[in-house]
Amino acid sequence: MRADTSNVASNNETANIASNGETITEYAKGTAASKGIASCHVCNQLNLSSLTHCTRCNGRLHLRYPNSIQRTLALVFTAFLLYIPANLYPIMTTTLLGDASPSTIISGVILFIDHGSYFVAFVIFAASILIPIAKMLVIIWLCYATTRPTRLSELELTRMYRATEFIGKWSMVDIFVVAILVALVQVSGLMSIEPGLAARAFALVVILTMVAALQFDVRLIWDRQKQQ
Amino acid sequence: MKNKDLNAYIACHECDQLIAMPEALGRNETLTCPRCMSKQLTNYANSLEHSIAFSLTALILLIIANAFPFLSFEAQGQIKTISVIEASYDLYFQGFYLLSALVYAFVLLIPIFYLCAVLVLLVPIRLGLQPPAPVAIGKMISLALPWAMAEVFIVGVLVALIKVIELADIVFGVSFWAYSGFVLFFIAASNIASRHQLWKWIEDAR
Repeated sequence: MRADTSNVASNNETANIASNGETITEYAKGTAASKGIASCHVCNQLNLSSLTHCTRCNGRLHLRYPNSIQRTLALVFTAFLLYIPANLYPIMTTTLLGDASPSTIISGVILFIDHGSYFVAFVIFAASILIPIAKMLVIIWLCYATTRPTRLSELELTRMYRATEFIGKWSMVDIFVVAILVALVQVSGLMSIEPGLAARAFALVVILTMVAALQFDVRLIWDRQKQQ
Repeated sequence: MKNKDLNAYIACHECDQLIAMPEALGRNETLTCPRCMSKQLTNYANSLEHSIAFSLTALILLIIANAFPFLSFEAQGQIKTISVIEASYDLYFQGFYLLSALVYAFVLLIPIFYLCAVLVLLVPIRLGLQPPAPVAIGKMISLALPWAMAEVFIVGVLVALIKVIELADIVFGVSFWAYSGFVLFFIAASNIASRHQLWKWIEDAR
């Protein structure tokens, strides 16, 4: 069930809550920022933007996250660089009867295809290759889209951001798989599994892209409407 | 006058659209942003009681999950049994200190911290008492939530089992079921105590 959408604040209604009654034209119509109102990042309380700290939780107030695009891009590029060693180095080494065989992320996928387990191969391929790369590209593209008109509408871009934010922590699956295998598969004299260098790099890739998604201010996408 | 008007509106956290708060939201009704369709808040019935109940259940299940064996791995007559904590121990012993700390934090520490913080905040509010440092706790709750990865861990366990199921016999311990139950209640608890709802309680308590 959805509440009646007729309670959109119309311009006349909201005019009286602006700090000086004027609208700030760099932000889209109907937004809190165009009325000189800052929504607190921590508790969502509305505050007049002339204040520096939130009246409810005392957090710092900003109309938009400061340097959001720069910070997001810096984090994503770092993640991209770390993604290279994450794929080149082995994520774990399986020792079977004294015979050590290191496996990278991609070789794990190929192993399952060879065994005929296509579903598992797809899950691992999606979680460790497809999603991280898609996520990083989407974030970069969203940063680009805040400055220029794109074929996709603001609503579609916002949906893409929402999906990126939601999917973020699911890439961590791979790290947990390694952690479980390392702990569980220790049969002395028969087989053992050791973590590899790529596990470290991949964990950092996941964390950095998560922080990047949190840093990105999706409201900037909607601010384009005013610039057009 | 100004403050009163500010409280009659909310701004969409995704597109900054000003939305007038409806006088009363019906039961289980969700307020969505008319411009970007994002969910703002849902008015769950007895949300305070449900939050406390789900959080407490999740916490108890998590304690059970730490007290019993999680998984057993049997090959060539040798049995290796691990608990939830040991999933991050072995990484530590192999010299992967950072990774071990991350797994430990995402799987156990942050969920426990989140649940304790919710209970410390909400139980006094339910009893009509003054909760200790409500604003600080509210901030910590919002900060911790994106980093609790219990549900991801369960999927990771299942993928790991598929990898080794041909090598050995796997036995699920009591802990596995307790942890799975904890994941369900944790998701339910974090869903009900949404950010708007949480800060409304905190504001009323101050």
